[in-house]
Amino acid sequence: MRLPGFLRRSVRRKVTALVVATTLAALLVTALALVSYNVHDYRQSKLAEMRTQAEIIGRASAPALTFADRKEATRGLAMLEARPDVLQAALYAADGTLFASYARDGDSADIPVRWATLGEWIEQDRLDLVSPIVEDGQRLGTILLRARYGLRDRLLAYLVILGTVMAGALGAAVLLSAWLQRAVTEPIQGVADAARRVVDRRDFSVRAGRTTEDEIGMLADAMNRMLADLEREIRERRDAEEALRVVDRRKDEFLATLAHELRNPLAPIRNALHLMQAPGSDARVNAEARAIIDRQVRQMVRLVDDLLEVSRITTGNLALRRERVELRSVAAAALEAVDPIMREHGHRLTVDLPPIGLLIDADPTRLAQVFLNLLNNAAKFTPQGGRIDFSLEVKDGEMIGRVRDNGVGIAADMLDPIFEMFAQADRSLERTTSGLGVGLSLSRKLIELHGGRLEARSAGPNQGAEFTVRIPAAGAAGRDRGDGTAGPRFASSPRLVPARDASPSPLATAATEKKCRVLVVDDNQDFADTLGHMLKSLGHEVRVEHDGLAGLAAARTFRPDIAFLDIGMPGLNGYDLARRLRAFDSTRGVVLIAVTGWGQANDRQRAYDAGFDDHVVKPLEMDRLQSLLGRMG
Amino acid sequence: MRTFHRLVVLAAATGLLGTGVARAQMEHEVKAAHLFKFLSYVDWPAAAFEGTRDPFVIGVIDAEEVRASLADIVRGREARGRPVEVRRLESGDATEGVHVLFIGRPASEPLLRLVGRPALLLVTEAEGALDRGAMINLMLVDDRVRFEVAPQVAERSGLHISSRLLVLAQSVRTVAP
Repeated sequence: MRLPGFLRRSVRRKVTALVVATTLAALLVTALALVSYNVHDYRQSKLAEMRTQAEIIGRASAPALTFADRKEATRGLAMLEARPDVLQAALYAADGTLFASYARDGDSADIPVRWATLGEWIEQDRLDLVSPIVEDGQRLGTILLRARYGLRDRLLAYLVILGTVMAGALGAAVLLSAWLQRAVTEPIQGVADAARRVVDRRDFSVRAGRTTEDEIGMLADAMNRMLADLEREIRERRDAEEALRVVDRRKDEFLATLAHELRNPLAPIRNALHLMQAPGSDARVNAEARAIIDRQVRQMVRLVDDLLEVSRITTGNLALRRERVELRSVAAAALEAVDPIMREHGHRLTVDLPPIGLLIDADPTRLAQVFLNLLNNAAKFTPQGGRIDFSLEVKDGEMIGRVRDNGVGIAADMLDPIFEMFAQADRSLERTTSGLGVGLSLSRKLIELHGGRLEARSAGPNQGAEFTVRIPAAGAAGRDRGDGTAGPRFASSPRLVPARDASPSPLATAATEKKCRVLVVDDNQDFADTLGHMLKSLGHEVRVEHDGLAGLAAARTFRPDIAFLDIGMPGLNGYDLARRLRAFDSTRGVVLIAVTGWGQANDRQRAYDAGFDDHVVKPLEMDRLQSLLGRMG
Repeated sequence: MRTFHRLVVLAAATGLLGTGVARAQMEHEVKAAHLFKFLSYVDWPAAAFEGTRDPFVIGVIDAEEVRASLADIVRGREARGRPVEVRRLESGDATEGVHVLFIGRPASEPLLRLVGRPALLLVTEAEGALDRGAMINLMLVDDRVRFEVAPQVAERSGLHISSRLLVLAQSVRTVAP
């Protein structure tokens, strides 16, 4: 329904209009009924009254008519003076001629001199009534009464009364509704005010007061709930935006750090090259230069590895390759890798490992990576000649690894942020430590993927720090039965995962392997040849080929123990080569290692599907090479 | 229209009785009509009639013209549900069974002996007749036939004259002679 503008804007006015309109309608209908009934009733009663009057006068006039006594008849009519509403009256004799007349104002000029028709006429405000005078069955004559009808006055008076009553009723209704509608409009007003405050001030903490239990109360509740939701969502969005900004800033800082860190090793490398190229450089200088280059390249590889991990985390491709692993060997790998930096800083490392043969379901590479990261951090953040403790134990179905140092420690407010991506506790340019701020974040993620947690504790700056790794080992951990049947293929292979001896120094386990026959197939001749040289320098028997088919032929004749195969090769690619080798009896037992530039999880999976035993990403470091070959022992 | 009505209406219309012979005749006719109409305004005791359909009997003495007119008027008519009979009486005749006795002017003297006779309405047309025992006396006033009434005299005879008639009377004699 279309309402006038002033009504559309206010509920209060609407309610008032509603009350007034309905009351008015009811009153009008009532008034109409009353008036029409009254008009009808008035007519009936007036006519009845006049008929009676005519009858009375007629009877009284009968003798006068009978004895033709005009005087008496006129006197009889004159009694009508007692009735002010009767204006004129007349008696007609039996033959219709005027016999006697009466006029209230004395003017009887308009009284007809003859009358024959009986009946009743109401015209405007005049009532004419003509009835017969009969006595003893004899029609003696006719009487005419002419009276003021008076309906107009009556109606006027009636309407005045009705109007007064209606006005009173309307007034009462409006007053009553004004009082009652507060129960309706005030809650609505409350809700509307709250809504307006929200819109005007963008203040979502405003709440509508709930004053009633009816639909309006429900409306207020619903609005309050929506406001609460809105407020929470806005806060969340703000927080999320803030978090995004932080991440974004960290990424920028990370890129700056990355550029810096990548550039750092370049200068020494170039210098070393200059030294080597310089005429007359002796063997000692050359050896020193090579050592420099080696160190710096390692550092760069580590940085690039970190970068790859970052991309895995951000693209959600960080996955575990879980297998049943022997705990000590994992620890040993980490300890072995961290040995150089420990020596460099002159730290005293105390190691407390569980007895040999404790198995756990985990990704050995990743777990070792975590320990290595923690040990590396401890080494980096502890001043020269510090003390570092590393312990591993299985207790209550849980593997607990601890790395404790007496280094720079961590401020309480940094205990959580250090686990965030790209976080650097020390952002100063002069900081002594290097790194991309990826390690702890990645470590925590890896441990969480194992279903465990990584926590940091520190009493404060310069109070040292302790990192604890907890991984549930229930159901998986236990003594290896030693029959080689338990667990997946790699874990059960004695050649790949040997349960290591409890050697007094895990660092001493490397480079003590037996000599192997090694086949290298890679179409990158430089890579293949350098790898070949490295292997030869380690004392292995090596054969190098540069395409798949040649590799296949060589494998049949050379009968290698282990083969490093490139994947992308002309002629026959690495996957197909691996399948062929697995298909022949003579080459089925060769340990196949894929060496590629791609380290994504699906690349690994394809390699395993094709029959590879392991998958390594270029460049292949000497340490890694030794570790791989070491497992052959 | 019947003669009676015509007469009344004529009298009422003109208001006068006219002159000469015609005037005298008119006077007789109006008087006759009055005699007939008086039946409607006087109550007789029940004993005055033997049956419900017994006629009213109007006796006329010494007024032959009036009697003749009256005889015309009552023919085929009723008063108060009874037929009306007109008798010509002589002075000295028995008045048994007569309800109204009209005595013409010449014979008004011997009325006294009739006074007090039950249920007989005595109507005269002589001046001073009420003093001599008449109950209704017809008279001419301004050439109109009017009448005077002595209701208490009638009461003594067991007759009740309606007040409606008294209203029309020229005068009402309230004290008995």
